[in-house]
Amino acid sequence: MSVTSDRLIEKVEADGQGAYVEYYDETEEHMVINMGPVHPSTHGVLRLLLELDGETVVKCLPIIGYLHTGMEKECEDQTWRAAVTIVTRMDYLGCFFNEQVYSLAVEDLLGIEVPPRGRYIRTLMAEMNRLSSHLVWFGTQGLDMGAMSAMFYGFREREVIIDFYEMVTGLRMNNGYFMPGGVWEDLPDGWEKAARSIVALLPVRIKEYEDLLSENPVFLERTKGIGVITQEEVLALGATGPIARATGVDWDLRRDMPYDAYDKVSFAVPLANEGDVYARYRVRMAEMRESVKILEQLIDQMPDGDFKNMDPKITHPPRQEMNRSMEAVIHHFKLSTQGYTVPAGESYAAVESPRGELGAYAVSDGGTSPYRLHVREPSFVNLQSLGPMARGGLVADLIASIASVDPIMGGVDR
Amino acid sequence: MIEVELTGSEWLERATALKDEGWWLADLCGLDRLHLGFDERFGIVVQLLHRERKERQTIHVAASGEPPTVPSITSLWSGANFFEREAYDLLGIHFEGHPNLDRILMPDDWVGHPLRKDYGVGKVPVDWIPQPVLQIGAPGQSPKGDEAAVRLDHLGQVIDEGGAP
Repeated sequence: MSVTSDRLIEKVEADGQGAYVEYYDETEEHMVINMGPVHPSTHGVLRLLLELDGETVVKCLPIIGYLHTGMEKECEDQTWRAAVTIVTRMDYLGCFFNEQVYSLAVEDLLGIEVPPRGRYIRTLMAEMNRLSSHLVWFGTQGLDMGAMSAMFYGFREREVIIDFYEMVTGLRMNNGYFMPGGVWEDLPDGWEKAARSIVALLPVRIKEYEDLLSENPVFLERTKGIGVITQEEVLALGATGPIARATGVDWDLRRDMPYDAYDKVSFAVPLANEGDVYARYRVRMAEMRESVKILEQLIDQMPDGDFKNMDPKITHPPRQEMNRSMEAVIHHFKLSTQGYTVPAGESYAAVESPRGELGAYAVSDGGTSPYRLHVREPSFVNLQSLGPMARGGLVADLIASIASVDPIMGGVDR
Repeated sequence: MIEVELTGSEWLERATALKDEGWWLADLCGLDRLHLGFDERFGIVVQLLHRERKERQTIHVAASGEPPTVPSITSLWSGANFFEREAYDLLGIHFEGHPNLDRILMPDDWVGHPLRKDYGVGKVPVDWIPQPVLQIGAPGQSPKGDEAAVRLDHLGQVIDEGGAP
């Protein structure tokens, strides 16, 4: 009796052989082993059930949920404004994107506009975030391929960007800086100098990274032709972002369905056709260069004016106003205790996060908290593409594929 | 609030037609409409994207029956696999024809579906299983205290695990 690969994994699951299972099927000489959930190269608590024929991967099944904390349910108990602090913790390397997509969805329900300066500030912080997120990817991709210095360099430049977050928002991560209607505080004095120094620094450093890895024979050997996924598979599996663009899918929400201030800046969308780990590497490196170009334009064009929608029913009044006006005090009290109501309805907003299409689907029943909030996390969807990438490769190649998918388990499990 | 709502059988036909038209599945999630005034309590919400036309559309599908069921679209877009498992896990919506409808985020032995509106938030006892106290005795003697290993569901009822180890 031969056991097909599906049934072999099922049998292991049914036997409940726990996290250390090693199952050997004598008829096909296949072996089922576990990788993770705690494994240095699975980027968080990702567990992979692998069926191996010798050292070749026959089947790879991601098992997730180890970091599930029910954030979508938690949001249903918060006011619309306070839910920002929960969504920002989902994808913890792309905090601003979570806040941005949630704010866009709620603004759509409220039917309010964000003033130009608010839109520019959001775009500026989001592009900074794309850089810092890609720098972590660069570090971990290098580290998983044995280039430990990549990790040090990637985190060194990320630190500079994180210092900028701290200067603007007061926090290094999970900032809670965006909100429906704009951002909660204006940029501080001296932001332009700090931002310009990042814009000047990054191109030099990105060149250094490319010198380090792009033509490194060891790195090429480990990434070229490894973890290949075709365009058809990408489209069927719903994978987006650099994974899709590395197979030639010419789609970027920033360019094709612009939001915030992306229609005011010009940039290129990097593409590749090979669909392997190296193509994804090239796409992400080129994206970092484009992000720097976007940042330059945003700093040059930064308009003056309000940084948030000044409707007192939606956002807190300025502090000075409260010394003079009773209405301002009442608005402040109502917003702080009860929050604002949002007209009944539903809306879906999507942004291009470093990992692909990040969507937020919000339903309101007319109350002061979300009736339902669903977040379409790109990491969650992209993880399914690990199966086709791993099939037929070696276990060592699977490590390269995981790093190139760049899954953030906080986002996957929410 | 919601203009068009499809039934399960209409959905599969419609999805096939939309896929041929070039629509791409962006998102699928379950929705418990307990307080929204619908005939059917459960439904799924599907977001589709058309890349050439740069358009989006939202489709609501009612999940009828007990348990609430809709046909699976994993045969059309294999990426629907995780979305449907998530809707099953968190809302208890069944997908007919799904290859592997398991819990995906919650533990396999979890009771209930947490995103349902009548799910008792705050009533879930934190799931600490008292650890057996190791008695130092003769070699080979089994540790005592196994009777303390009792698990409760979200309503505080004891889960009968049928002689769990």
